[in-house]
Formats: sequence, C-alpha cells, structure tokens
Amino acid sequence: MCDDRLTGRSRPTRSPVNCRLPLAVLLSGLGLSSCTGVQSALDPAGSEAEAVATLFWAMVAGGGVIWLIVVGAVIYASRLKKKPMSESGASRVIFFGGVAFPVVVLAFLLAYAVWLMPAMRPWFGGEGEGLRRIEVTAEQYWWRVRYLDSTGAVVRETANEVHMPVGERVLFLLKAKDVIHSFWIPSIGGKMDAIPGRTNALQLEATRPGTYRGVCAEFCGTAHALMAFSVQALEPEAFEDWLAARPGEVPVASVEPVASGQPRGLNLFLRHGCGSCHAISGTPADGALGPDLTAFGSRPTVAAGTLPNTPENLARFIQYPDAIKPGVRMPGFAMLPAADVSAIALYLKGLE
Amino acid sequence: MKSVIPREVETLWTLFTAPTVWALHFIVCYVVMAIYCAKPGIYGLGFNDFRWGLVVFTLLALGFIVFAGYLAWRQWGFGSDDPPHDAATGQDRRLFQGFATLLLSGLSFVAVIYTAIPLIILAECQT
Amino acid sequence: MTVELGPLLTEEERAAQEKRLRDIWRTPSGWRYWTSVNNSQIGLWYGCTAFVFMLFAGLLALLIRLQLAVPDNDLVSAEFFNQAFTLHGTVMMFLFAVPIFEAVAIFILPSMLGSRELPFPRLSAFGYWSFAIGGVFVCGSIFFNAAPNSGWFMYPPLATDKEQSGIGADIWLLGLSFIEVASIAAAVELIVGIMKCRAPGMRVNMMPLFAWYLLVVAGMILFAFPPLIAGDLLFEMQRMFDWPFFDSARGGDPLLWQHLFWIFGHPEVYIIFLPAIALMAMIVPTFSQRPIVGYSWIVLAAVGTGFLSFGLWVHHMFTTGLPQISLAFFSAASEAVVIPTGVQIFVFIATMLAGRVIFSTPMLFGAGGLAIFIIGGLTGVMVALVPFDWQAHDTYFIVAHLHYVLIGGMLFPVTAGIYYFYPFFSGKKLSDRLGKIAFWLMFIGFNVAFFPMHFAGLRGMPRRVYTYPEEMGWDWFNLISTIGAFVFAAGFALVLLDVLRPKRNVPASPVNPWNAGTMEWLNEKDENWGYRSIPVVHSRYPLWDQPDLRQQIAEGRFYLPDAETGHRETLVTSVLDGKPLQVLRVGGSSKVTMVAAFMLGGVFISLTYEWWWITILCAIGTLISILYWLWTGTAQIPETENRNAGMGQSFPLYVSGPASVGWWAMFITMVGDGTAFASLIFGYFFYWTIHDDFTAGAAGPGMMWPLAAAALFIAAWLAMMAARSVNDRDRTATTRLLLVLALALTLCGTAAGFMGPYTHDMEPTRHVYPAVVWVLVIWTSAHSAVAIIMQAYCLARSFAGRLTGTYDQDLRNVVLYWHFMLATAVGTFATIGLFPSLR
Repeated sequence: MCDDRLTGRSRPTRSPVNCRLPLAVLLSGLGLSSCTGVQSALDPAGSEAEAVATLFWAMVAGGGVIWLIVVGAVIYASRLKKKPMSESGASRVIFFGGVAFPVVVLAFLLAYAVWLMPAMRPWFGGEGEGLRRIEVTAEQYWWRVRYLDSTGAVVRETANEVHMPVGERVLFLLKAKDVIHSFWIPSIGGKMDAIPGRTNALQLEATRPGTYRGVCAEFCGTAHALMAFSVQALEPEAFEDWLAARPGEVPVASVEPVASGQPRGLNLFLRHGCGSCHAISGTPADGALGPDLTAFGSRPTVAAGTLPNTPENLARFIQYPDAIKPGVRMPGFAMLPAADVSAIALYLKGLE
Repeated sequence: MKSVIPREVETLWTLFTAPTVWALHFIVCYVVMAIYCAKPGIYGLGFNDFRWGLVVFTLLALGFIVFAGYLAWRQWGFGSDDPPHDAATGQDRRLFQGFATLLLSGLSFVAVIYTAIPLIILAECQT
Repeated sequence: MTVELGPLLTEEERAAQEKRLRDIWRTPSGWRYWTSVNNSQIGLWYGCTAFVFMLFAGLLALLIRLQLAVPDNDLVSAEFFNQAFTLHGTVMMFLFAVPIFEAVAIFILPSMLGSRELPFPRLSAFGYWSFAIGGVFVCGSIFFNAAPNSGWFMYPPLATDKEQSGIGADIWLLGLSFIEVASIAAAVELIVGIMKCRAPGMRVNMMPLFAWYLLVVAGMILFAFPPLIAGDLLFEMQRMFDWPFFDSARGGDPLLWQHLFWIFGHPEVYIIFLPAIALMAMIVPTFSQRPIVGYSWIVLAAVGTGFLSFGLWVHHMFTTGLPQISLAFFSAASEAVVIPTGVQIFVFIATMLAGRVIFSTPMLFGAGGLAIFIIGGLTGVMVALVPFDWQAHDTYFIVAHLHYVLIGGMLFPVTAGIYYFYPFFSGKKLSDRLGKIAFWLMFIGFNVAFFPMHFAGLRGMPRRVYTYPEEMGWDWFNLISTIGAFVFAAGFALVLLDVLRPKRNVPASPVNPWNAGTMEWLNEKDENWGYRSIPVVHSRYPLWDQPDLRQQIAEGRFYLPDAETGHRETLVTSVLDGKPLQVLRVGGSSKVTMVAAFMLGGVFISLTYEWWWITILCAIGTLISILYWLWTGTAQIPETENRNAGMGQSFPLYVSGPASVGWWAMFITMVGDGTAFASLIFGYFFYWTIHDDFTAGAAGPGMMWPLAAAALFIAAWLAMMAARSVNDRDRTATTRLLLVLALALTLCGTAAGFMGPYTHDMEPTRHVYPAVVWVLVIWTSAHSAVAIIMQAYCLARSFAGRLTGTYDQDLRNVVLYWHFMLATAVGTFATIGLFPSLR
C-alpha cells in the first residue's frame, strides 16, 4: 500500500478550489474554513481537534468584531469626529473599553479554556493501565512506535506509522532518545513534546476513520523538516485485526528467487550489515538502532514521511540517504552494485 | 484603630504593593502545586488539601490588596478630586500616586482572581 | 508657581559662559570622536548600529522567505537555513529590539527630563562598545558557516551537543552574555537617570510618560536578564566542562533551561514592546494637540504589564507535559496581561477622541502599527488558552502571532518615532509623500506576508522547517507570504532611503516642528551641552504651559548656566518632588570605557575558542582598565564642598550613601545580580523536585564546612559594617585594620566554602547534584573575589587619602555590596549545607 497523500507527492483527497486561490486567501478568512488536508487542525478528525477548531472559529468571529470596533474607533477619533469629546467622556472610554469589557470577557474565556483541559484530556491515574497505550520514541529523525498491552509488554513494534482505533481514547507515552521532539497529529489533537529523560503522556481520540499525517513540531536538528509519520485511524475491529497480525511469524512472502532458503534481498540485507541497525522479525536481522522494518512494504512512506514508498525511492534512499534527508543518521550505500540495492529495495517493499 | 492602619508615607515604593502581592500569590500557587505534582503525597497531604489551602491564601491575598487599595484611596483623598492631577504641587503629586496605586490595586485584584480560577476548576495534577 | 530667576546678564557675560560650557561639553574631533561619552553621540551610534544589525537580520529573513517560496526548494541548504533563522531571531531580539530602545532612551531621555546628561555617561559608552563588539562577533559567525543553528531559544540537548551545534552555540552564549552586560548597564543608567536626574520641579506626576515606561522597562531588565545569564553559565559549563545540568542521563533536565530562558524570554517581549508604546505616548498627545487623557492609567498599564509579564513564561512550555494546573496558572496571568495592554490602547483612543487630531506621517505609522498589533494581541489571547496552544504551538500560527506583535507593536511605532524625531537631531523633516508610500507598502506587504501564516500554521505547517512537501496545501500560503515580505522590505527600504538621502534642498524645520509640549523639543541640535541652563519645570507639557521657557533657558537664567569649574556638571534632584539636591560631576570623553569594553570582549571571544591564556590576559586587562576608570573617574573629592548652581542657590558636590547616584547604581546592579543568584538556587531546588533522591546517593558537601563558611562571611560582613561606622568617626587606622580583618575573613570564608565539596570528593561531571553544588560555590567565590578586590580598593583609597570620614562613597558602596554578598554566601551555604539533611 502506498498512500501518496502522506508525503504530499499527489493531490490531497479533498481540497476545495477556494483555498488554493490566492485571492480567496487574501479576501476571505472564512473561505479558509473549508480548507482540508491530512494534516490540518481545521479539518478535525479527533475529539480534541474538533473542540479546538470550534473554539478557534468562535474566537476568530469575536476577535474580528473587536478588531473592527477598535480600529473603527481609532479612525473615528482621528479622522471622522466633528468636535473633541470631553475629558470625562474620554476617561469613560478608557474604563469601559480598556477595563470593564476585557475583564469580563477574558474571565469567561479563561474559565472555559481551563474547564476544557481536563474535559479533553481527562484524568487517567497511575500509568494509564486502563487505556490503550502506544509508546512512541522520537529519535533523530524518525519515530519508534510500540504497542503495549495492559501489562506494559510490547505487542507490536513499527516505525513512522501510527495505527489507532476510532472512538477510543489512546494514551501515547512519548519519549525521546536524543533531543527534544514534539509529537503532533493536527487532525486529531494537540501536540506534546518528547523530552529526553521524561515520559510525557498524551491522550488522543480519533473520531473519523482515515489516513492522516503527523509531524515533529519542535525543532530537532538538520532534518527537522523531514520527520513525519502516517496515522491510520481504523474502525475498532480493523484495528484489533491489524494489531493481532504478526508479520514475520509467517514466512516472508518473497518476490525474489530464494537462495539458501532465504530471499536474495534478505541475504544482501544481512550481508551488508543492514541487520545491525534494523530489525525484521522472523529473520536474523535484529538491530535496534534504526527503524524496525518488519512489514515495511505496508508502510506508506520512506524516510519518515519524506518519499512515497516505492522500490525506486527506497533504492535511492539506501544509496544517497543524506541527499534526500540531510543530517540523517543512516550511512549511504552508494558503493553497492545497483542491482544489489534494488534487490534489497524489492525485498523490503515485499514485506507485508 | 489608628495604630493598625499605617500612616501615609512619602515614597514611590507603595505604588508596587498590590502587584507585589499578586506576584507572591502567583509564585506560591505555582510552586506549591508544582512541588505537589512532582512529589505527590508530600507531607501526607492530597491535592484537595493544597487546593483549599491555596484558596484560603487567595482570600488573604485579596484582603491584603483591598487593604492596600484602601490606603491608596485614602492617599487619593477618597476621590475628592478628579484626575489629571497634573499641577506642580505636592498635593497633586500625592493624589496622582494615590490614584495610580488604586488602579494598580484593582488590576492586581483581578489578576489574583484569574490565578485562582484554575484552583476552582481543576482537581488533579493531570498532564 | 513663580520661580526666582537668575539675573539677566550682559551679552559679553553670556557669551563667556557659553564659551566655557561649550568647551567643557565639546565633542572630540578626529579619531578621538570615538572616545566621546556624551549621550547624544552614544545614543546615535547605538541607534545606527542597532539598525545595521536589523537590516542584516532582515536580509536573512528575505533569504528564509525565498527558500520557502516554493515547496521542495533547494535554494539554500538545510544547515544554512537553520543558521539563518536562528540568527534572524537572535539578532532581531538581542541586537535590534532591545538595543534600539536603549539607544532612543540614551539619546532623548536627558533632553526630555531636562537634564544635561545621564548620571553615568561612561557606563553608557562602555555598554555601547560591548554591544557593538558582541553584535559584530555574533553576526559575523554566519560568514564562516559557524553561526548558531539551534533556534534562538537554544534548547538543549540539541544545543549542548557539540557535534550538532558546533561553535555556533558558544558564540551565541558568550556573545550574548556580553551583550546582556550592556543591557544591564543601560538599565542601571536609565533607572538612576529617571529617578534622580530630572529637571527641578518635575515631580513624579509630571514626568513625561516615556520616562515612566522606560523606568518600568529598565526595572524589568533587572529581573529578566539575570536568569538568562545564570542559564548561560550553566549551559556553558556543560559545553566546556561537561557538567551535566541539562543531561538527563546524569540527573540533569533540559526543562530547566526552558524555564530560565523563558523567565527571561517573555518579559523580553514587553521590554521590547513598552518602549515602542512609550514613543506612541509622546506622539499621540502632540498630534492630538492636547495632554494625554488618562496619565495615571498609563502608569497603571506600564507598571501592571511590568509585573504581570513575569507570570507568563510557562506559556512557551504548554506542550512540555507539565501538570494542567501549572499551565492554567500561567494561562491566567497571560490573559490578565491583556488588560493593561488594552488600557494603553484605549488611552490613545481617548486622547484622540478628546483632541483635535492632525493625521501626520508619524500618526499614520502609529495607527497602522496599532491595527496590526491588535491582531497580534487577539491571537495572543488565543494562544494563551492552553487547549488552543496545544494545536498552535510551534507552528506558523505562532510565527504570524509574534510578528504581528513585534512588528505592529515595535517596528511600526519605532518607524513613527523615526519620522517624529528626525527633526530633533537633523533639524529637517522627512518627506511626507515618501512616508505615505512607504507606509502603505509596509502595511500591505506586512499583512500579505504574515496573515496567511495563521492558516498555514493551523493547516499543519510547523515552524523552522527548511522545506515542505508540495501537496500539503501550503504552497500558495508560502508564495504569497514571500511576495508580501518583499513588498514590506521595499517599504522599509524607502524609509531608509528617505533617512539617508542628502537633504540640502529640504528647508530647515523650526526647532519644535510638531508643536510638541515636552522638553526634548528645546534641544539645540548643534550644541552638546544639553541645556544652556537647567530649567525649572511646572507642567507635564512645559512648552505648552511655560511660554517663556526657551528664552529664559537661552539667557542662562536657570541652574548651572556656567562651567567655570571646568567640569561636566548636571543637577541631581529628589525622587518624588524633583527638588534639587546636588551638583553631579559626570565623566567626560575617555578612552578607558572603550579599552575596558574591548578587553571584556576579548575575554568572551577567547573563551568561545577556549584560548585560555588570552582569556586570562584579557581578564586582567579588563580588571586593570575598570580599576583605572574607577580610580580616576569616580568618588573624586571636590575642591569645595558646595557649588554655586545659579539662581542664588548652591548644592553639595559630594554626597555618599543612599543620597548618591553611585549607591543607587550599586543597589540596582546587585538586585540584578541577586536575581541571577536566585535563578541558580531555583535550579538547585528544581533538581530536588524532579528526582526522588536528587543527590543520587552521592555524598554532599557535609554540614561543617558550609556552616563554617557562612559564619566566616557573617564575620566579614560585621567587620565591614564596623569599618564603615568607625570611618564615620574619622578613625582612619582602625578603619584600615577592620578592612584588613574583613579581607582576611573573606579569604578564609571562600576557602572554607571550597573545602565542603572538595573534601567530599564531589566530582561535578558525574552527576548534576555535585555540579549544582559546585556552581553555587563558584558563584559565591566569584563574588567574594570581587569583594576582596573592593576591600583592597578601599584600603588603597584610604592610604591615598581619597577615602575619609566625610568622603566615604567608596566604603559605603562596598558595604552595600556586602549586604548582597552576605545574602549570597548565607543563601549558598545554608542551602548546600542544610537542605540535604532537612528534606
């Protein structure tokens, strides 16, 4: 499966014309409300994103009115008025406009927002054992994703892709290996930093099945711009099926001729040492430094949301990782014969 | 009574009384809750104990600000004269100080109440 | 109110006075021009330098916009982009926004307050040179591919990692620490200047609003910059010596940096914004042709903002996983600060409502800035709400918000200020026609550039990305932003062009071209003396209410019309009522400030490259030049006790203790210093809160040595107090004996302080606990080293006959230092000695 929307190499699924026209952008803030996308906080697909988008549009409306009134007052006072107001009248303007109105409005706004915090992210107590937990470790510049069971044991590990059930509160446990990153799926909810030495908890609930895109929001080094991940919000049954599947426990589906009982691509993969950084379950490759590549073929992207997952892109990335993703930790393998590289790429693409 | 209420003093420092109370109240609220949330169960107390303790502290802070505001009101001659207080006299200078201090007391009062809003609404150390 | 004016002198007498005044205040010529310390020159250099840095950072911004104009662009590399945006933010904040206010203040404030000069002109010069050297050092780094690249808030561990952040991080830390010295110097200068150097009769209810704002801002600097200096210290200790303050593997925590940085960083925004609004508070009444309505409300707003701005810092950390209740407190303060900000805006509206408005070019920029700033304020209300910020944080929404606030709240008012004050220093007006075109280019360009960013951000575009994929739907937003940015830049280029173009054909404008009411418009731009004679003021708008003022000043009928003693002199007045108290002699042109600044610059620059020997040499050079400066320039015993100041009155030339400006400078500096110390103590307890056992089982410094050290410092402080009171009774020998005793006790106390961690084998690279104990001990030791130098200095002054019972400024200032020294020592040793066993 290859979802081009996640790398942005194809048209978004639903992108009304009006948000692509510069004129619309300039003239009509409201026209933007229909702006959609796989990574848009204004196109919510999660309970938190919905609440925040509503709050935002309400504040835009209120703020717009306030802006018009204040700027109108400036224009009236400086250009239009016929004769000066009395000093006591002007003092009343200060009191009502500058004090009374904001004090009341801000108090209500603040109280609502404070109330909204636990409403969106309720108390879960302890380590969140009652909730479905996904441990995400941010590393330069990719995401290690582990699904935990109620005892905290790892059920399944993958990288740069998050699967979550719709209609259920999921607790993301966020860690960072090297520097500070920030885990953000705009369509579903707000972000939370991943900080070395700390484990931060973020509750999110998807409300609409679909494919979304998340990114690193905190500047984390050279390739900060290229640290994205895909999000699949699945119906609960579909999610359980996905989680229960154990790729790698069944023999690897091969697209290449088998030599000494292993696919040629796997042989090359192991021979060139890829397995010392990457793991593929069911094979001797068990490196833990880089992303786990089990079932890699089903991932939509290569290099943490940088390129669509095609064998050609994969081969290019294996050869010249730094050109595609400056600062990436993976060494380049341009010295390998092109045929070997494409064999490895084909093999990986075949891992479903 | 006279002994309780301070005499009027000739200094600029009184201007900062009420905002300083706000700052202390703010810091105490933040530090107490930060320590509690980092070390839950410290001194065997729960969230609500700290929470209501801070609400009482808030009332004290508000009382102090009202008192500072009263002193400012007195310095302002209980509103006997309207602003702008711009005459080159010691009297107007005092009235100005009183009025500005009174306004700052009002702002600090509101700010302390704002700070207390989370204490009323939130009931856990949730992240 | 009537004032007894001085006698009307004959033409010859006046000419003789003027010649003497002119001679003593003369600006040096040739290369010696750069040794000038007069506020007019320093202010001008300061402003021009800040603008050069601003243009440099602006060009970086255009490069950033070009790179982002289209998706998947490869105009610049990722690495260069990261350096460019880091430097853009850093330079705009540290080298333009803050210094430009210092520049304007130094330039205009003395005239506005009716003073000849600020109280410490050489300190201003020192600050300027520090700023210029540090700024060139930081900016230059990008030409060697060595600029900081971790973002202007330099979060560890990215920025502490030597491989990923390189020398750029050291340049940032040390270069900016150096510039922070300049800011604190300016704060000291401005607070004392505003409090003590106003025109006689200018009571606090009559101070120009600009001065009120600047007073608040300078006070904020004292509490805002020191936490960053403390943070810089920890940061650099980690980078140079591997002390693990921010390394979570060894008990450190990256969040401590975020706290310290933002305790500085948020007040910083208001430190930038308030002076710009202060300019508006001068411009609006002038063009409304009436006094400001709501003078007290402005004071409320300035002071209120000053306080509240210190309760906002965590709103930059809403997504770091702190408890909701902590976030909510800061959200509350962030909403509360809107109230005073709103009051300021409504004061301007009220003043315009009650006046007859002349809609000039400065007003155009002011009103346009207001319209922009209000949008920034409204989005500020939004992002201060935690749930919304969880989405908006670290996106282009924030980029839009902060530019709306800073450009609307600062750059537009400053441009208004350029148009308004241009005649003040050049005697000619800028072109109205060009001004209008420039305004509309800037206004439209700005909105085209930054308004779409709100939506790009909410549509998922994170900030600080060097590129983005084509199909995220951000391409149009970004292309429009880039076009807008260039239009905006063209507008500003037009302003620049107008400022720089030769104006031989432009007619000279009158001295007070806008018919303003405040005193700075008495300025004689060709004279360096500030005021021909220092006037007595009895209105908020003296030029409107005291019609004869200009003539009487020119006739020399007020204070200090003459310089027969051959010194630069100005008047010191009382804080509340502006009663004249003292004739203050201020420093004249001197090379020493420049030498000291270059030496100190040498210290910071050679530290960056870890050239230890040069560092030590420069440090010695700095010390010598500062001692020379103090010895020859401060606490000089005057030839007579009193000075005839004209108008039939004479005032003392030498005062000491709280009556002297030097005492206040020491007090203010030490308040800032105490804030830095408090930040380090905060760090100590921060580590306690985040760990179950913050000592990690390691041995502490024990109780004996720290308590012994505390006791010795208390004894030394008592000896200093005794020395002061004995000196009051002119018992010179006993004074010297007590000073020697105090010096010995200080040495012993310092040694005892070291013994605690030393004898317990506390290895600072092993864990953060020993590191934080050591850093507190080192901080205290550095202060006791300064204390020892001061004690030795007092002894030397005493032996040189420059410190006596009457003339005891030095000793009193040192005793004041010792109060803070005592608090630092007792705070340190009580904390490290007692807390581990108390907890």
